[in-house]
Amino acid sequence: MQFAQIRDRAEIKSHDARNIDPAGLVGMWVNSNPDTRGVARMIITESGGKLSLRVQAIGPDGLIDWGSTDIALFASSPSSRAAAGFMCLYDFGFAETRLEAMILKGLIVLAQIHTFRDGRVDYFVREYFALDHGRY
Amino acid sequence: MEFKQSGHLDPALTDPATRTLNADKLIGRWLNTNPQTEGLIEILIERDGEHFFVSALAAGENRPIRWPRTGATALANLEEEAGQRALALAVDFDFGFMKAETYLRVNKGVLVIVAYHTFLDGSRRSNYVNREFFHRRD
Repeated sequence: MQFAQIRDRAEIKSHDARNIDPAGLVGMWVNSNPDTRGVARMIITESGGKLSLRVQAIGPDGLIDWGSTDIALFASSPSSRAAAGFMCLYDFGFAETRLEAMILKGLIVLAQIHTFRDGRVDYFVREYFALDHGRY
Repeated sequence: MEFKQSGHLDPALTDPATRTLNADKLIGRWLNTNPQTEGLIEILIERDGEHFFVSALAAGENRPIRWPRTGATALANLEEEAGQRALALAVDFDFGFMKAETYLRVNKGVLVIVAYHTFLDGSRRSNYVNREFFHRRD
């Protein structure tokens, strides 16, 4: 088995056909910063075993819907089957935004990598999101 | 100017000074704060003009595994460190059987790397994300 660091090594039994379990990710995640100029909320849905993300971001005149995109799930180790993060890409033509999420202490820590095709400076933002559980 | 969020309209993104942000905080040799790491032992960040390069040594079975010197994308990190402008880097390592998409930033003098590993070899290993911390070695 090839590995690029010791951590990569994990023997997975051939009969283990499980995928990464997205439990806990589905729902609406709200930015903890009410003054954000970026992503306001993320809505994660599951259909047919596939997870989709819909982003709504803050614009000068209200929310901007980025639409839905598929997300790739990541566990916390090669042998784990529990979701610990996800990644996806939005291509807006004038810019591309890569979203890289990591679950820490029940929050999603979202890194946004914005790369522009029109000469603006590429930039990075990291923000925190809490699940809107609707219980109280 | 096109945008998909208000942050896309930040005047700093068209300010030439943003392109020349001080990268001193990032450049150099960094050592993992965890001496028992099973991941990256050491990271080297170099600059050649406006271009940035990242290489690393990872924990191996008998000797460290060299992660090749790879070009990085410099990113203005406008909203951290109490509003101070800083640089972050995004760098993707491709090993053929696996790729590691990473970003690096300095927070309070500590280099933080977050790496998203995707296996491409059909080994049924889970793709995984992890985070590690580094202090300056030089």
